[in-house]
Amino acid sequence: MSAHDLVVDGGAPVRADWLALARRSWRRRVGGQSMLLAFLIVVSAPIVLPYFWMMVIAFTARTGGVGSDVLWTACAVIAPAVLIYSIVHMTVAAPRLRLIAGAILLVVVGGLLAALIGGRLHLDNFRFLWRADFVEEVRSKATSGAQFPSVWNAFFNSLLLAVAQTLIILTVSSLAGYYISRFAFRGRSAFLQGMLVLHAFPAMTLIIPIFMMLYWIGLLDTIAGVMLVLAAIELPFYVFVMKGFFDGVPWDIEMSAMTDGATRRQAFYMVVLPQVRFGLIAVAVFAFIRAWEEYIFVRTFLIENKNWVMSLYLFWVSDDVMGVDYGIVAAVAVFYVLPSFLLYIFCQKYLTQMTIGGIKG
Amino acid sequence: MPDHARAQARREWANFGLFLGPALLLLFVFFVAPIVIDLVLAFTDMGRTLAVGKFTFENFERMFTRDTRLLGALGVTFVFVLLTLGIFNVTFALMLALMTTAVPPRLGAFFRAVWLLPRMSPSVVYALLWLWVVDPNERGLLNQIVINVFDMPAIDLRNNHPLLLIILANGFIGASLGMLIFTSAIRSIPEHLFHAARVDGAGAFAIVRHITLPALRWPISYMTIHQSLSLLVSFEYILLITGGGPFYDTTVFSLYAYRRAFETGEYAYGAALSLILVVIGVVAALALWRLMDMKQLLQPPRIEVH
Repeated sequence: MSAHDLVVDGGAPVRADWLALARRSWRRRVGGQSMLLAFLIVVSAPIVLPYFWMMVIAFTARTGGVGSDVLWTACAVIAPAVLIYSIVHMTVAAPRLRLIAGAILLVVVGGLLAALIGGRLHLDNFRFLWRADFVEEVRSKATSGAQFPSVWNAFFNSLLLAVAQTLIILTVSSLAGYYISRFAFRGRSAFLQGMLVLHAFPAMTLIIPIFMMLYWIGLLDTIAGVMLVLAAIELPFYVFVMKGFFDGVPWDIEMSAMTDGATRRQAFYMVVLPQVRFGLIAVAVFAFIRAWEEYIFVRTFLIENKNWVMSLYLFWVSDDVMGVDYGIVAAVAVFYVLPSFLLYIFCQKYLTQMTIGGIKG
Repeated sequence: MPDHARAQARREWANFGLFLGPALLLLFVFFVAPIVIDLVLAFTDMGRTLAVGKFTFENFERMFTRDTRLLGALGVTFVFVLLTLGIFNVTFALMLALMTTAVPPRLGAFFRAVWLLPRMSPSVVYALLWLWVVDPNERGLLNQIVINVFDMPAIDLRNNHPLLLIILANGFIGASLGMLIFTSAIRSIPEHLFHAARVDGAGAFAIVRHITLPALRWPISYMTIHQSLSLLVSFEYILLITGGGPFYDTTVFSLYAYRRAFETGEYAYGAALSLILVVIGVVAALALWRLMDMKQLLQPPRIEVH
């Protein structure tokens, strides 16, 4: 009797068919995983499809109509390709073979797409980038309302808002985060608890009093006003994020800097700050994306069209020409969303390092 | 040495001002002061002219006795928060977290990135996507499927089922935060527990039921409070997708306060309405605060040299 025999309930030993068992377990695992993946694909399709539809509209629509056949043709080419690749990925273990299969599929898909819908693609919808009067052109001149500002005006307003707000947050949150991470001061725990409450407190409820306050101090309808408000209401979150990063820096390096004659501030500036550069990058990227996408606060606090940021520009373009021309609206949306997506894709590894507080577990 | 002590005290104050001053100033002016202003505004008669005429209890009298729309808004809020939270922000977030951690790590990360896409896109763009999906004519993405695949007449979600629309739109964005929190909680469960359960003959569901879910108890209660609070006060997507309409059908409480202030110019009444949200916000924030890891957060600082 070998050690590999199974003994069931103390009865006679049963010879186990190890190969069959292994096959069964493999089948089960692959079956279960495919079901999970199928479910994930089905629930994720409603997210991917609208983004894809937006791209299709932006690059193929012309005034008066959108050809939905382009969307479904592209889906009919891409969906089977993804399916085939996932089957290959699951059955083939060698990374080189996977890579080759992926490359072949990519070439086939690219070729098919170019042949089937390549002729329909055009960049006409992006003419808003160099023509400020496209709204009058799309709608007849008589019906159009106020003159739209150039898109670059809104773009640079957005950039100014996002960059300045990010700089404020970086400076203030790293100073405060360092202080509460390293210094003891009277009321420290009260301060921390107060910040936590502010962090959880929904600032959106304060939009009416903030509006009044900006009006009273004369910052209503200015980029500077919105910038300060956005920086302040997000600040507790970033202070805690920075505190987390500072907590992770061993204090010996500060001590040795100070033993070498640096003052406390020099130690902070020259020794500790470089240690948390990934934290600074994460905070900067996150703050930038948040300010870039802001809508409610800018909608409420910015009124004149010379102060429009990208979100307001897109909103008013869609409000004005949506019924007539989908293409331009989608093109503006693609132009607007691009910086956020690029930052998100390229800085993902920094963003995932942010943690806050830690939840009791 | 009093001189030395005085210099030390001065340095401490200078450091306090330098490091914490900017944060305190910003927070006080743009965060704490508005709370106080809201409290005062709620008891005034401020209207379109933005001038305060007199102090009065009229806003609260109106709120509790005369405002017939308010009850409708509360009902909409209740249904909206309950369903969005129950279906998407907690339940579906949990399912996503469980599933994306059960498939190979790379694929799981891919699906999580897909679900984060709406959160990373600007709200105006996200709302536009929904408008294109539910476009009532045959060009709407949903109608293209409904007409061509199911051979049914075109549907108009925005006018006929507006509440469903805002629940879906908020849910698809809301699920991602819970998904991230739950995923990191699942990852922090020691691996050997899963192995031990498998050896003991537990199946997939038994493992989820007896190992994963108990470990997620705190994150789930945290997310439930956090998300109900944020659903209660945020109206961004509702304003963009339905504008609170048709009529007042999707006007939740927070949007109702906003519309009173910025649509009809009744700033004082809007402030009085948001005062209720402020109170709820403070209570919920205190509740959340109990769920945070206070000991880790409040541990004493390590260097105290100034």
